[in-house]
Amino acid sequence: MVEQPNKKLIVEKLFLNFGGVHALDDISLDIYDNEIVAIIGPNGAGKTCLLNCINGFYRPQSGSITFEGKQLVGLPRHKIASLGIGRTFQNIQLYTGLTAVENLMAARHIFYKNTFIEDAIFFGPTQKAEVKHREIVEDIIDFLDMETIRDRVVGALPYGQRKKVDMGRALALEPKILLLDEPMAGMNSEEKEDMARYILDTHELRRIPIVLIEHDMGVVMDIAQRVVVLDFGKKIADGTPDEIRCDVRVIEAYLGRDSGIPMKYK
Amino acid sequence: MESTTIYEKSFDTFPKLLIEQCKRSGANKLALRHKDRGIWKRFTWGQYYDYVKYFSLGMISLGLKRGDKVSILGENEPEWYWADLGIQAAGGIVVGIFTDCMPKEVQYYAAHSDSRFILAHDQEQVDKVIEIKDQLPLIEKVIYWDPKGLWSYTQPYLLNFYKVIELGKEYEKQHPGIFEENVSAGNGDDIALILYTSGTTGLPKGAMVSFNNILIVGRIINKIDPSFSTDNYVSAISPAWITEHNSIATHLMVGHPVSFPEDPETVQQDIRDIGPQIIFFAARQLEAMARIIQAKIVDAGFLKRFAYNLFLPVAYKKADTEIAGNKLNIFWKILYWLGDTIVFRNLRDKFGVLYARKAASGGAALSPDIIRFFRGVGINIRVGYGSSEGGVTSCGQLEGEIKLETAGRPYGLVEMRISEQGELLIRSPGVFKGYYKDEEATKKVVINGWYHTGDFCFIDGDGHVTIMGRMADVRKLSNNKTFSPDYAEIRLRFSPYLKDALVFGRETENYVTAIVNIDKETVGRWAEQKHIPYTTFTDLSQKPEVIKLVADELKKVNKALPEHARIKKFVSLNKEFDPDEAELTRTRKLRRSFVEQRFKEIIDAMYGDKTEIAVHSEITYRDGRKGIIETVMKINSIL
Repeated sequence: MVEQPNKKLIVEKLFLNFGGVHALDDISLDIYDNEIVAIIGPNGAGKTCLLNCINGFYRPQSGSITFEGKQLVGLPRHKIASLGIGRTFQNIQLYTGLTAVENLMAARHIFYKNTFIEDAIFFGPTQKAEVKHREIVEDIIDFLDMETIRDRVVGALPYGQRKKVDMGRALALEPKILLLDEPMAGMNSEEKEDMARYILDTHELRRIPIVLIEHDMGVVMDIAQRVVVLDFGKKIADGTPDEIRCDVRVIEAYLGRDSGIPMKYK
Repeated sequence: MESTTIYEKSFDTFPKLLIEQCKRSGANKLALRHKDRGIWKRFTWGQYYDYVKYFSLGMISLGLKRGDKVSILGENEPEWYWADLGIQAAGGIVVGIFTDCMPKEVQYYAAHSDSRFILAHDQEQVDKVIEIKDQLPLIEKVIYWDPKGLWSYTQPYLLNFYKVIELGKEYEKQHPGIFEENVSAGNGDDIALILYTSGTTGLPKGAMVSFNNILIVGRIINKIDPSFSTDNYVSAISPAWITEHNSIATHLMVGHPVSFPEDPETVQQDIRDIGPQIIFFAARQLEAMARIIQAKIVDAGFLKRFAYNLFLPVAYKKADTEIAGNKLNIFWKILYWLGDTIVFRNLRDKFGVLYARKAASGGAALSPDIIRFFRGVGINIRVGYGSSEGGVTSCGQLEGEIKLETAGRPYGLVEMRISEQGELLIRSPGVFKGYYKDEEATKKVVINGWYHTGDFCFIDGDGHVTIMGRMADVRKLSNNKTFSPDYAEIRLRFSPYLKDALVFGRETENYVTAIVNIDKETVGRWAEQKHIPYTTFTDLSQKPEVIKLVADELKKVNKALPEHARIKKFVSLNKEFDPDEAELTRTRKLRRSFVEQRFKEIIDAMYGDKTEIAVHSEITYRDGRKGIIETVMKINSIL
């Protein structure tokens, strides 16, 4: 018998309402060890809401999210981050006045253990810690080919490069699961190709599950092992890319019910 | 301090020089630097020696035999040098391949050279080799040194560079002293390298270069124009090009450290970190630098622009005075000092050449305007001339006797003469050992010891050589006058707005035409400032304002050309010339006959009376796919 992979993240019966709007409506979802899952769905389907619930930006009205056996709902965001949940954002959230390397160093703050006094003196333990963190950050810079932008101020970087810094910042948290919100939005095809390679390499190197929201179906079908489809806050499909491709409900969600698509797809 | 320079003829191979230099400099002295993870990592001569030794032994334990070929496909990093010297120490021959080669080209070089091993830098290069591995039955191992992304590759022939080092350590335990024995068995006349000529015509040919080809003239040059062990050099030109091996020779001979940039894209910043005394620029790099400076000045604030424009004439005055062999008088000296303090010093600092004592250029002819410009701002560019076949450096400008149009005088032991047809012939210890597996071609170019360069040249009364262009390129017009397209092209490339040009003439016509490539960056910026909207390169290239801009640039150059060689009609091409489409060589030289063939339609149109031409051009994407662009280009006359 094939060994059952571990469930890393379990979302159960999640409800999230904004007034009368059901942003998430009874969502249940398991993320297994070491898999790449894509969440797709039309605009407003609740994809980003789901990620926001997982890392604590939104508090769902009911339901539970457990990560490695720990309940996440109700925990403050920084606690969730230090549990090992790293994420990137659709509308990049970086310190625009800092350089790329400073942004990555800032992400390491959850690992700083030194006291205020030690930090004020800097020499000794703080210096050692700083060097150690810088090494880890430099590995990420090497990994994402960010050498050319290392000392550039993030605010002055082009969009595709900022996305990279955002991804680097998430990796600097040494996440046990990585949530990527539209990592390729607004990129040209070469940048997309690079980003897809970084995602696959991250997966290969760190052996962590990666959840990504993405609109580019080519990318999704190429790199995801499993695809989850949301529509109006409901999960309407969950399966391998091939299964999703010919799922009637998915086609309806994307193209509308009476869209005149040929019968063979219905 | 005692000099560490090795002039003795007994050290006649690179590995012998390495062992000796390690002794003279001392095992603990800095030999190599590599920027990695943002930090300059240091390697001493002792570590250098060990890496070379163990790599060499590791390769032997993998079965490398004397005379075997090993292809190297990598960026400038210490591993390239270690592998290079390690393979040569074992009696192997290194085949250098440019990293931007397409898989097809790599396959040709590796197959033609009968390589048994390929060193492929990283995932990108390994992927190329995997793609063509089935067509390369001789390749036994593919060795990489950057494992990023290769963790889950399972191809049995893949091997990590540092695994080879481990194998070498094992091998040494069983065969102590074998490395030194191997090195002393080497001989100066052994083939050290096979470098595939950029081949502006036909299939590339593998030029076999011996150690002596590089070292004999190298020693002489170092006596006339010495480097010192305190100098710094940044390795930024591809070792697949003979010029870099000349630098390796100097590095081993003199014992100065070599610094390797972090990434090909960070070279500019890394050069600035080091502030090298010795620097080599490909002619194209200097052209690009001049364009960047001019474009940035246009963008700069009022004060900077004012200061630059104020002092630029002073810079030219200094350059011209020095080139004429005179000294500036005190008035100009003070002015120049001011200009230097306010403008030029900062400019040099920005480009990392503040300490550059030897700034050489080669690879292609350089426009006199560029030399004047750089010498004016205090970067004393000196032009040299050489080739894989005729010797890496055959002649070069020396300080104090610079003649703008020339590539200097031949160095000692190098003889040069001009054939009746005007072709430059060279006889020197630098003349190569022939093309690999192509005696026919060798016999065509080396006749009675004289290498026929194929360059159309002129030697003046003082022995200075002027390279006019390729023999095959010199064209005759219907009025029986000849002209050299190259001569016009290099002058066109000095324009900040023009990146490339093909100048053309034919026997049935009496005027000269040109196809030009605008520079996307500078023309794009220019268009933005003039509020000219454009979408793509194609669109930009055909804008009436841009055409006018190009025409004005051509008019300027026309003034410097003889009456009959002036350009009368031109087309601003809808795409850039590209090495991937075989329009340029990997060193960015124009492959003229190919380009002329490819754009025949356009050229024909320029000799007709049409004002427009519609073309379908085939383009090749990076991944090998092909596409077609269809555009209408204007044919423009210069009045």
